[in-house]
Amino acid sequence: MKASIAGKREERQRRQNYRERVKAMMSQAIPEKATTMEASSEKAITTEESSDKAAIMHSEAVAESVAASVLEDWSNIRDDAIIQQQNAIIAEEAEKMPFVGDKEALSALAAEYESGSSILKEKIKILEEKYAAIRRTRGDGNCFFRCFLFAYLEHVLESQDKTEVAHMLNKVEECKATLLGLGYLEFTFEDFVLSFTDLLEGVIQGTEASISYDELLDRSRNASISNYVVMFFRFVTSAEIKKRADFFEPFIMGLSNVTVEKFCQSSVEPMGEESDHVQIIALSDALGVPIRVVYLDNSSNGPSKLDVNHHDFIPSSTGSSSPNVTMLYRPGHYDILYPK
Amino acid sequence: MQASRARLFKEYKEVQREKSVDPDIQLLCDDSNIFKWTALIKGPSETPYEGGVFQLAFAIPEQYPLLPPQVRFLTKIFHPNVHFKTGEICLDILKNAWSPAWTLQSVCRAIIALMAHPEPDSPLNCDSGNLLRSGDLRGYQSMAKMYTRLAAMPKKG
Repeated sequence: MKASIAGKREERQRRQNYRERVKAMMSQAIPEKATTMEASSEKAITTEESSDKAAIMHSEAVAESVAASVLEDWSNIRDDAIIQQQNAIIAEEAEKMPFVGDKEALSALAAEYESGSSILKEKIKILEEKYAAIRRTRGDGNCFFRCFLFAYLEHVLESQDKTEVAHMLNKVEECKATLLGLGYLEFTFEDFVLSFTDLLEGVIQGTEASISYDELLDRSRNASISNYVVMFFRFVTSAEIKKRADFFEPFIMGLSNVTVEKFCQSSVEPMGEESDHVQIIALSDALGVPIRVVYLDNSSNGPSKLDVNHHDFIPSSTGSSSPNVTMLYRPGHYDILYPK
Repeated sequence: MQASRARLFKEYKEVQREKSVDPDIQLLCDDSNIFKWTALIKGPSETPYEGGVFQLAFAIPEQYPLLPPQVRFLTKIFHPNVHFKTGEICLDILKNAWSPAWTLQSVCRAIIALMAHPEPDSPLNCDSGNLLRSGDLRGYQSMAKMYTRLAAMPKKG
C-alpha cells in the first residue's frame, strides 16, 4: 500500500518533470510563442461556450504554427513516403529474383560459400549426400509460404496423387469452416481460397483446367496468383493458431510476449511477415502436410562429427509421416530442397 | 486490378445490406470510380468528438485487398494519432498489420475505436500527444472538443 502511494508520488513527480521539460523545449524552439500557446489552450476552455470566431481562428493559427515549427523536420517524412521507399526496395529485389527460382544443382549452394566458414562448407558436403537440388525463393518475408506453395503443388503434379487432392480439398473446407466460426466474413477470404484450389485441381492432368509444369512455374511467379495463394496460407495459419489458442499460447508468449490474437494480427496475416516454428506447425497441421526443415547455419555441436540438423513437422491428423515438402532454412530465409 | 474491383464490388453490396446495422458509419462509393470512397463517421460518445461527424477519404490501391486502403481525415481533428494538417492516420492495421480480413467498414470501426482510445506514445500530432502524455487530460479534451465544434458540427446561425 505504502509502496503504491510512493509510486504514485513518483509518477506525479515524473509527469511534473516531463511537463517542465516540454515547456522548456517549447520555449526554446519558439521563444515568442511559448506563452501564447499556453494562453491559447486556456482560451480553448473558455471559448467552449462562445463562438468568437476570431479568437478561435487565432488559436488555430497559433496551434498550427507551433506544430509547424516543432515538427518541421519530422512532418516532411510522412508514412506514405516511407511506404513508397519500401515498395521501391521490394521492386528492386523483384528484378533480381523471381518469387520462385529455377531448380539448381546443389553444387550452386557450395559455390555460394566458397569463401565461407569451414563449418558451413562441411555441412554442405553432408547435404550433398542426401539432397540433389535446390530451388531458391525470393526473400520477401513470404518465402516459407512460397516454398510450401511450389514444393507441395509440384509434388502433387509429379505424383498425380488424386487421394491427396481429395484429402486437401477436405482440409480446405475445414479451414473455411474454421474461419467462418472465428467470425471472418466469407467474401474477405473466398478469393484467396479459390486461387489455391484452382492450382490444386489444375495440377491433376487430364481435365480442361489442367496445367503443365511450366504453367505451374509461371503462375507461381505471377504476383496476382502467387501472392493470393500465399495469403490463403496466411489465413489458414492464422485460423489454426486461433482455433488452438490454448496449445499455441505458451509458444507465442515465449517468443514475443503478445496475445494469440495480436500475434496473428501482426505476424501471421500481414504479407511479408516472416514465419517461424509456430506458423510452420499451424500450416502443417491445418492442411495435413508433413514438412521437413533442414537447418544450415554456423552452429556445431563440439569437436565431434559435424551433422546437419533437421526437424520434421508431422501433422497429428495424418498417418503419413514422410515429408514430401522439404525446405532448407538459413537464418532468415527458406528455400526448397530436393532429396536424392 | 480485376481482383480488387471484384472485391470492392462485394464490399459495396455488403455495405448496402448492412446499412442499418451500423448507424455510426456511412460509406459511399464514388459513382464513377470504385477505387474512391468517402465515409462519414460519428464521433464516439463520451469523447471530445461526441456530436461531431467526421469525413474520411479512402483511396484504394490496385493491389487491394493485399495492400491496405489509404485513409485520411478530411475533417480537421485534434487527435494524437492523426496528422493535424494532412489528416493522415497512424493506425497499425493501415500500415504493417494490414490483413485482407479487414473491410472498409471494419476499418471505419477501427478508426472510431482509435478516436475513443488515442495512443499518445506514437503521435502524429505531437501537441495532442504531449498533452495526454503529460497528464493534461483537460487540455487535450478542450482542444479536441473545440476542433470538433469548429470543424465537425454544422455551423450555427
